[in-house]
Amino acid sequence: MNYPEDLKYAENHEWARLEADNRVRMGISDYAQDALGDVVYVELPELGAKVAQGDPFSEVESTKSLSDVYAPVSGSIVEVNDALEDHPELVNASPYGDGWFCVIAADDPSELDSLMDQAAYAATLD
Amino acid sequence: MPQSPIHAVHEAEGARFVDFGGWTMPVQYSGVLAEHAAVRENVGIFDVSHLGRFEVAGPHATDVLRQQLCNDITKVEPGRAQYTMALNERGGVEDDIIVWRLEKDRYWVMPNGTNSDEIVARFRAGVGAETTVEDIRDSSVLFAVQGPKAADVLETVLGVVPGRFRIIDAEYRDTMVIAAGTGYTGERGAEIWAPLSVASGLWMDLRAAGATACGLGSRDTLRLEMGFPLWGQDLDEDTTPLEAGLGWVVAWDHDFVGKDALLAQKGNLTKELVAFTTEGRAIPRHGYEVTTSSGSGVVSSGNFSPTLGHGIGMAYVSPPMGDEDTLTVTIRKDRVPGTRVTLPFLDR
Repeated sequence: MNYPEDLKYAENHEWARLEADNRVRMGISDYAQDALGDVVYVELPELGAKVAQGDPFSEVESTKSLSDVYAPVSGSIVEVNDALEDHPELVNASPYGDGWFCVIAADDPSELDSLMDQAAYAATLD
Repeated sequence: MPQSPIHAVHEAEGARFVDFGGWTMPVQYSGVLAEHAAVRENVGIFDVSHLGRFEVAGPHATDVLRQQLCNDITKVEPGRAQYTMALNERGGVEDDIIVWRLEKDRYWVMPNGTNSDEIVARFRAGVGAETTVEDIRDSSVLFAVQGPKAADVLETVLGVVPGRFRIIDAEYRDTMVIAAGTGYTGERGAEIWAPLSVASGLWMDLRAAGATACGLGSRDTLRLEMGFPLWGQDLDEDTTPLEAGLGWVVAWDHDFVGKDALLAQKGNLTKELVAFTTEGRAIPRHGYEVTTSSGSGVVSSGNFSPTLGHGIGMAYVSPPMGDEDTLTVTIRKDRVPGTRVTLPFLDR
């Protein structure tokens, strides 16, 4: 399993990366994609939708189960990964790269401080 | 918890395991979608050693099977297999079963793993002194080799390829194994019984001959595409074969446990199994609610069909649907329209 050091992690296994202009890119962790098994569908939020930290705002369906995805920060959806529509398997193949879910324009990027760093997240999985 | 006699081989293959019917068995190796595709397009191998298998033999063995099971075993010759069911007095399905008719009065009965002990006990209680009932599960393994290229693998390793529902003996490393042209995927292939002494070697040779290791995850998506029922989801003690749309499994011209209840129910069903598809990638799953024009129901099995690329499901609805009736399935908060179809979902 791989947990990059430059990301923050939520207890429900989302990752978040702070980029320029308070934009936060997010997806699900390597642990999550592995536990779900083959991802066959990702329901992404609408562009412009408002989300609140900790609220379910997206769904990921695998051959095994349907799971909620929770917003790592509050804000508005400014980008979604349209490639997942035809290629949900990108979530398995590249959870931190091409398998990203969306970008949230964060209302308050300091909310990310409440998430775990790599070491803390990895420790919860032991 | 019991596990496959070749559990260590599966661990070395990188399998993940699941508790299924009280057994720890491989659920996937490379991934459900890859394994599913291997069976549909090429060839895969499953370890299904959790399935029950017991021998019923003796001069009255045929009478015992005819009494205990709703299909009629005398409809098949020795050397052939039959799909059948053990019913209770209410006509409910205690188990669905494959029977290998090895000889005129010698049978291997193969119940689901989860029901094996109950079915063995039922047979033991139902036979006289001249009939033997011997549980042979723990002394053997059962592998299913399935797919359009299964014949190549079987030919390479065993030198024989059974026809559909045919049973043949084969020699493997100077040991007798038995191959039957059965399975649970809709593809050609065989289920192979082998004693423990050759189990690991047989698995590895079948793998080396080209079969992809497959787990119970893909076995479930494969069987669902064919509309094959899974006991515990699509069949149970409170559901009759008529309600399940499996009336063809009932041979009416002989007496068997549950026959009176089925006769009373014939033509007067209060619930029935329907099959449906959903568009997009919204996926119906076991337990989801169904609404029809005239009633309601529950999804018994549902999943994403890897071959078709959309959701497929089976549901019990009450009352039975009329020709014009429509169906929706509640997936989370949304009512998704389902298109009723006849089984199988996938033509084979």
